[in-house]
Amino acid sequence: MLGTLKRDLLLMVSSKQVIILWLFYIPLLIFVVDSFVPEVLYYMIIVFYTYLASITSFSYDITGKSKYIMNSLPISRREVVLYRYLSTFIYFAITIVYAGIYLWIINALKLAHVDYFNLRAIVNAIPAVMISTSLVYPAFFRFEPRIARIVHMVVFMTFFVGLSNISMTGEKGILKYVSLLKWEHVMIIALVMYILSLILSMQIYKNRDI
Amino acid sequence: MDYILEVEKLRKEFKNFTLDNISFKLEPGYIMGFIGPNGAGKSTTIKLIMNLLKKDGGSIKIFGKDHVKYEKEIKNRIGFVYDENYYYEDLTINSMKSIVASFYSNWDDNQFNKYMKEFDLNPKAKIKTLSKGMKMKFSLAVALSHNADFIIMDEPTSGLDPVFRREILDILYSVIQDERRSILFSTHITTDLEKIADYITFINKGKIVFSQSKDEILQNYAIVKGGLDILDQDKRREFIGLRETKVGFEALTDNMDKMRRMFGNKVLIERATLEDIMVYSVRG
Repeated sequence: MLGTLKRDLLLMVSSKQVIILWLFYIPLLIFVVDSFVPEVLYYMIIVFYTYLASITSFSYDITGKSKYIMNSLPISRREVVLYRYLSTFIYFAITIVYAGIYLWIINALKLAHVDYFNLRAIVNAIPAVMISTSLVYPAFFRFEPRIARIVHMVVFMTFFVGLSNISMTGEKGILKYVSLLKWEHVMIIALVMYILSLILSMQIYKNRDI
Repeated sequence: MDYILEVEKLRKEFKNFTLDNISFKLEPGYIMGFIGPNGAGKSTTIKLIMNLLKKDGGSIKIFGKDHVKYEKEIKNRIGFVYDENYYYEDLTINSMKSIVASFYSNWDDNQFNKYMKEFDLNPKAKIKTLSKGMKMKFSLAVALSHNADFIIMDEPTSGLDPVFRREILDILYSVIQDERRSILFSTHITTDLEKIADYITFINKGKIVFSQSKDEILQNYAIVKGGLDILDQDKRREFIGLRETKVGFEALTDNMDKMRRMFGNKVLIERATLEDIMVYSVRG
């Protein structure tokens, strides 16, 4: 787990594209998302950063020729999959810290009024992150990177457009219906999806040619 | 006998290629050369051994254990060098080393640093700035720094100049002096193997041609040279491979006595090199 995480973080830090994404995605979201509720923006930032960090690091496992190196090291395929699913929560924690500092600076400089820590939004973000990644991970384990990226884009755009719409309509629109679902129900659905996705990915990856 | 590697009736099917009934064994303390033309199935076999590809049949045991069931334990004792640099190009040697080291239980930093000095590699250099030879040396340093008992190398010397190749071969030769270690060395540069290999496994079109000790092979095979006037259809069929030119013929045989009986002193019989054996066997 430590080795995989170290690899992911070192690669992210060494990639200019990832650094640019991490630096400028928050201002972009603040600019693009015209939300009535500051909490929603914070929620979106947490969800999208965790999702992007998880998917970016995941691609290091399965795309390019480096996959031969990683799969030749003393790590079983079961562990590769398990660590990937566990690392989502580590990226979630990293995102909370990173976004907290970033948004605090934005608030301190009076550039925008955004929450920089909101426990309710964090709690609400957990099932969203789990559902989105549980849809994308098996695709990356099963398909060629090109096809998996299409699945990733579909999920990403669906969530982005969906959440943007929710935030735009504020309390009056879709949010009203969404809020009819209790968090506990959503969390149970997310948990079931995440575990089923983990089992499916393990089965797929166990029998796959690298 | 305890073998480092036992491959039995290995089978893998692809759309346009089948690796069929591959069997060979490697004892501790020896170097096995794995030869064959491009597309013969060398890399496929190595990927199957490393469990990068899933086999359709047969068995692979490494250190006497099933290579899938005991994958993690086995890979902890394997050093690997592949034909290209598959390491992350944007990372420095040091960063890449620290990632790889965290996976091995027996990682030896002193040994790695010793190789860094010996190979004249700068730990702060990014992998993408290294030449092909330097990248290969880095791969070799990684493979030799966790007390591996079995080194698997897939075309490590291809594309390298003779000086680099010789250097790598010398290192491998010194590695093998410790008699518990073995090396499986895939290459199509057969001259490299004539220097260091103890056993040769020859694969062609997905099938094993032979897997024998090098000395035995070089003793059994010979090149026969003579004039075209002594050849007829029946005699042509006696050769493994034959090349005819305007001035005469050259052919590969694995039965020198028969050739002497058949042609007497009308032919010249010379020792065959591994390259001769490979080329004539492939061309027919």
